[in-house]
Amino acid sequence: MSDPKMKFLVVDDFSTMRRIVRNLLKELGYTNVDEAEDGVVAMQKLSAGGIDFVVTDWNMPNMTGIELLRAIRANAQIAHLPVLMITAEAKKENIIEAAQAGASGYIVKPFTAATLAEKMAKIFEKMGKG
Amino acid sequence: MSDFAGMEDLLQDFLVEAGDLLSGVDNKLVDLERNPHDLALLNEIFRGFHTIKGGAGFLNASELVTLCHLTENLFDKLRTNEMQVTPDMLDVILGATATVRSMFGDLERSLQPGPATPQLIEQLKQALAGQLKGNSAAPKQTAAQAAVSVPAVAGGETEPDWNAYYQAVTGVEPVTGNLPVVDTTAESDEPHLNETVAEQIIQAAVGRRTTDKPGYQGPAGGRREGERQRDNSIRVDTSRLDQVLNLSGEIGLTKNRLTALRSDILNGKNDTDTLHALDLAVSQLDLLVSDLQNAVMKTRMQPIGRLFQKYPRIARDLARSLGKDVEMVLEGEETEIDKTMIEDLSDPIIHLIRNAVDHGIELPGERMTMGKGEKSFVKLEARQEGDHIVIVVADDGRGMNPERLRAKALEKGLISDEEANTMDERQSFNLVFLPGFSTANVVSDVSGRGVGMDVVRTNIQKLNGSIDIRSVQGKGTEFIISLPLTLAILPVLLVCLEDQPFAVPLSMVREILPIDPKEVQELGGRATMVVRGEVLPIVTLAALLGWPQQRVPEYGVLMQSAEQSFVLAIDSFAGREDAVIKSLYDFRPKGVAGVTTLSNGQIVLILDMKELLGSMGEQRVATRAQLLLEGQIAAAA
Repeated sequence: MSDPKMKFLVVDDFSTMRRIVRNLLKELGYTNVDEAEDGVVAMQKLSAGGIDFVVTDWNMPNMTGIELLRAIRANAQIAHLPVLMITAEAKKENIIEAAQAGASGYIVKPFTAATLAEKMAKIFEKMGKG
Repeated sequence: MSDFAGMEDLLQDFLVEAGDLLSGVDNKLVDLERNPHDLALLNEIFRGFHTIKGGAGFLNASELVTLCHLTENLFDKLRTNEMQVTPDMLDVILGATATVRSMFGDLERSLQPGPATPQLIEQLKQALAGQLKGNSAAPKQTAAQAAVSVPAVAGGETEPDWNAYYQAVTGVEPVTGNLPVVDTTAESDEPHLNETVAEQIIQAAVGRRTTDKPGYQGPAGGRREGERQRDNSIRVDTSRLDQVLNLSGEIGLTKNRLTALRSDILNGKNDTDTLHALDLAVSQLDLLVSDLQNAVMKTRMQPIGRLFQKYPRIARDLARSLGKDVEMVLEGEETEIDKTMIEDLSDPIIHLIRNAVDHGIELPGERMTMGKGEKSFVKLEARQEGDHIVIVVADDGRGMNPERLRAKALEKGLISDEEANTMDERQSFNLVFLPGFSTANVVSDVSGRGVGMDVVRTNIQKLNGSIDIRSVQGKGTEFIISLPLTLAILPVLLVCLEDQPFAVPLSMVREILPIDPKEVQELGGRATMVVRGEVLPIVTLAALLGWPQQRVPEYGVLMQSAEQSFVLAIDSFAGREDAVIKSLYDFRPKGVAGVTTLSNGQIVLILDMKELLGSMGEQRVATRAQLLLEGQIAAAA
């Protein structure tokens, strides 16, 4: 499942953060990365197709990460995509909310490439089983 | 040693982006003060702190994370209506943004920021717990004491003491409310800004060292490496870069066409079709090159809003420290301007705003008696007019009194009796730009030490711009800054002295007139000419350059700068050009702004008229006899 050519969509309104995530993904060997600055742009790119994995921030203008997650899960075409949520909060209620909305994983800022690799491995493992 | 080895790129990105974000937050806080229940504002401010926190985490800037985290939590409570914004709370939050900015300053110098003052953290925690104490006298006292300790630092040549600034700006109310900032020794009843306090306000809002303020004459070496790096990076819309790419591609194609035509012609093929094709290719290249120049210039253009964002906060803080109610109105924030100019405009505009708030705007009581609203407005507007950018700083205050300005300048010995008597309103207003001029009666300790306005004008002129004043007593004052779209290309007029052409900036040229010896009159030992009722001195280009004058000049160029108009006497013209200015490597003769190459390959000096006039002093003006070479002609005859 973890094909180095798979295409990621990194969604964050803060371009520095998109760059950080992009760099971390590169460290893990994933170089095919597209970016979106909020949920609305992300949905446009997703419906155009070709994306294999979504990494999204939670807090964004226009359409938040959790709204994006719900929109993805509600769209039959892309509902199967793995979605990794990134947030600055480790609050329990947030984690539960994300899990209930169908997040594939949840990662708290700041994180290292190792943490990201670990979370992604778990997601791939789950997907392999399912 | 850098604390961010390997992360410098990321750090620079973060600082640029987070800096913009923070300016936005500051601005929204000022709005919030007026609309404390605006949910959209609360959400945006919350997200601002949240985003900065997220980025800071990756840079391991834990103290910045802590501070943003607390502030963000406070806004979370505010936006969920768990709490209401109070003025005290807002002061604490503004203190927090000032500290965040100081921390950005540390990061810029590649240092991990130290913790915020325990006092600020404590107040944020109190606010979070809903127990923020009213502004007791104690913390204010601390802030004031800290403020007192700053001037020694600000005046010194060494790095400002950041700790002093920290303490000064992170007190409950850094510079606001009822701080003892009002100078009671002033002759007028009007309170004026304390230099130190004003400096702190600007420092807190802009996040720069005092050494960067206008008028600072010290060595520029104080600027750190990181800051220079930051200055050098620019964010460009990719569509603009694509356009550059497209055009250079097309130029490449045209070049290929020309190469083919060249070999045809060299091989003796010179029929009409070939020449026509050559003509076509050259015209096309001409068009493409000018498009490319434009497109490249556009990559340097930035919306001026990024600069404007800082000002509402500064205006608010300055106004509050004077007990005035000022709202800043921004217009034309989308107007685009060359990035280098944005940086160089920052300080002059701060100064004009500070001037408007301090001198222009009346106290609320005075406004009421004048039949004006208690609240006053300072407008900052940008717009493009032709090939110029116009920036206006306007207040609705008391306006300027030309008579008082003249009397003051006379008293200070800046102008003579005669000059004072012949001055019109506009010239009187322009007196404020003279070095050493100040309308404030008190010289010590209060605003208006005479540094500032002259530096403002010098800085604007360095950008090939001009500044003008319009003022109506009782209604308000407008400062109008006019700037060229770009610094790279300067339209010039080519004037000749004997056979040597020189370039003068076209922006100063009003008109060109023949010099008729019969119309040259002598007034007070100077050759003058009457142009539409206005008596103008004649200055010969030969005298300006220190050349011997060989013949009677035939033409006069009516030149106008902010402070004076005069007729520049020259021998002939060589036309006008859009000069691409090249500076002389490593040396700069007085009065020469740079050089340019003409279409025929000739190299021409671009003259800096202001500098030439300045260096000549009074002797620049010839007598009628000198100008017309009367003695010599008589001798020859």
